[in-house]
Amino acid sequence: MDILLGILRAIVFVVIAYMVVFVAALVNIVFERRALAFMQDRHGPNRTGPHGVLQSVADAFKMMGKEDFRPLLADPFLFTLAPIMVMIGAVAVQIVIPYTDGITATGLDVGLIFLVAITSFTTLSILLGGWSSRNKYSLVGALRAAAQMISYEIPMILGLIVVAMVVGSLSVVDVVEAQSGYQWIAFYAPFTFLIFYIASIAELNRGPFDLPESESELVSGYGTEYSGMRFGMFFLNEYAGMTIMSMVAVTLFFGGWQGPFAEAVQFWGVSWIGLVWFLVKTYLLVFALVWIRLSLPRLQVDQLMGFAWKVLIPLGLVNILATAAVMLWVPSWKWGLAVFSWIAFFAFVGLLDPILKYRLRKQRERQPVVSA
Amino acid sequence: MFDEFETPEPDEAVKLALRRIDEATARGEGSDADGLAFNEVVVNMGPQHPSTHGVLRLVVTLDGELVKDVIPVIGYLHRCKEKLAERRTYFQYIPIVDRTEYVASINCEWGYVLAVEKLAGIRPTRRAEFIRVITGELMRIASHLVAVGTFTADLSPLGTAMVFYMFRDRELILDLMEELTGARMMFNYYRFGGVRYDLPDGWVEKCRDLMKRMPKLIDEYESLVDDNAIFLQRTQGKGVITQQDVVDYGITGPNARASGVAHDLRRTRPYSVYPELDFEVCTLDHGDIFDRYKVRMHEMRESVKIVEQCLDMLPKGPVQSGSLRAPYVITPPPGSCYVGQENPRGEYGTYIESDGSRYPYRLKYRDPCFCNLQLFPKLLSGNKIADAVAISGSIDLVLGGIDR
Repeated sequence: MDILLGILRAIVFVVIAYMVVFVAALVNIVFERRALAFMQDRHGPNRTGPHGVLQSVADAFKMMGKEDFRPLLADPFLFTLAPIMVMIGAVAVQIVIPYTDGITATGLDVGLIFLVAITSFTTLSILLGGWSSRNKYSLVGALRAAAQMISYEIPMILGLIVVAMVVGSLSVVDVVEAQSGYQWIAFYAPFTFLIFYIASIAELNRGPFDLPESESELVSGYGTEYSGMRFGMFFLNEYAGMTIMSMVAVTLFFGGWQGPFAEAVQFWGVSWIGLVWFLVKTYLLVFALVWIRLSLPRLQVDQLMGFAWKVLIPLGLVNILATAAVMLWVPSWKWGLAVFSWIAFFAFVGLLDPILKYRLRKQRERQPVVSA
Repeated sequence: MFDEFETPEPDEAVKLALRRIDEATARGEGSDADGLAFNEVVVNMGPQHPSTHGVLRLVVTLDGELVKDVIPVIGYLHRCKEKLAERRTYFQYIPIVDRTEYVASINCEWGYVLAVEKLAGIRPTRRAEFIRVITGELMRIASHLVAVGTFTADLSPLGTAMVFYMFRDRELILDLMEELTGARMMFNYYRFGGVRYDLPDGWVEKCRDLMKRMPKLIDEYESLVDDNAIFLQRTQGKGVITQQDVVDYGITGPNARASGVAHDLRRTRPYSVYPELDFEVCTLDHGDIFDRYKVRMHEMRESVKIVEQCLDMLPKGPVQSGSLRAPYVITPPPGSCYVGQENPRGEYGTYIESDGSRYPYRLKYRDPCFCNLQLFPKLLSGNKIADAVAISGSIDLVLGGIDR
């Protein structure tokens, strides 16, 4: 009986995870298109349904109706496998994420490690897709994607290590519980959150780190040869990733489902207002993603790698050491950590731009003048 | 299993790129210092590529991210514009000039009309001269808006916002032009000895209003990118055109002025009423992508100044010299002439040879984009792909002018 219940539970959660991925992707696509249109002084999709909310549903049906086309010279097996596999990361991550109190697939003891491991799946399928389609743009895009995602996974892990140190557990449920009473980790370790968030934007291949599919250089990167629903799978995954990554960030740094009156309405053993808080926080971060994408020009490959290896990784390591020192030697270490981390946060935010500009000014002064 | 399908024979440009790789390998340049062979890939950018702005085709040899060699291939938009002139009267040819370089079409019209007027010895009326300067400078602003907008769009989604802002404001200029000429792109407005219509009622006020707003709009565009460290990093010091390049390749227009060459035909070989107007020729010192962008922004401001002066100085009188029928029948005396005119992209030269009949014997354009394109292999080689795209965007090519 227990086994049957377990199987049923597993099926229910897989269905929920897929639903979240698809619904999130469809919502995010319309959301981003409308938000970009608003910022770019145009209308955006506004014909399908009220205010265009059904646009991405219509697009999804259109894509399903398209010819299932494969280039003659592409590797048939891998070319088909890549779009099937690409969803795995986004779906499987949700196994360890508590949507709210009572809706968690499994409180895996090594949740944080699982998070890191499973998100790399996307890289693998992007590399497969780009390589198997026998197109030079795809190949360059796929290699860029692989290099970038592997580089940015390291600062992300460095951020997660701090979370694990502070909480003292690798279980995601424990992380949420440790943040009860508004002791959100983002409040006393904002610098860690910043590192994690920048790295997660790069993981998502979104602007300003959207090099693998920079349309002005590589047509559309690894997805150049994909069309119809195969392309749709990559596309859906990319947009679902926005929500999934924001969910992870909310769970780890913003107290997950916790908030005012989170446990006020409870039936079937589930706190429903907690679910609302979880969604609200998630979508605030999704909006930040859209905003960042529009406000920053795309980095270049060398700048991108330089930022990961020369800035984020050293800072992440220093952050771990400093956090460890504070936890070891400062008696009320949460206050100590808050002081250190906020100072580091503002120093990073405040100094990165001036330092970059100072270096650029110096460079400009040294630059040879051709009009002499 | 791949043998079942025949891969198509590569065309001449791709063959040339492959041959150059082989030659480099034969010379011993095919490997780096450690003796490892470069893995060069020949990639076809265009004619349908999102960042070639038209039907330009670049056969690019890539070594990883690095561009080793570029072979531009043109001719996808060739419409025999020059040959068409030989079977049309001088007057019938005016609408066709519009279609050569379509982003700043009225400036091309101006070049053609100037050449015919010089050949036939016609003098336009003074009011018509001012109207020509006003429309020409308005189109210069519109053309630079397109140039800078598409260039920033190559850099990022931020640029996509810029494109929308810039096209929004280009619409305002096109609306003015539509009210004046009845067309938004192919104006067919200039006539030998004048222009087709006088300014409609209230047009001067509308134009003045727009010119008052324009500097603020330009400030807005600059504030979007000028202070952005990523933008500066991607544009400063990249794709430098030296003064020697300018001389060797015949680079003109904003691209030359960004390298400090104060060559502006409105000043160096003045035509129309430009000597009476007060404006400065903007030159910058570094000749890189950033300077080329900056020169265009500055030129827009100068154009606004010129239009405002012309609106103030606008004299009364006819807009067409001679009778209104005069421009329709023109038989210039035998001979030839060349007139260079400052297009938004550089020196737009028109060469006409007349045998005394109603048709031009021969017509030839010197298009600035064509000369600028020749610099591509030198300018792009050795840069990263992303830089190459940014550089080619900053050169601002219009394929209609190159292919004609």
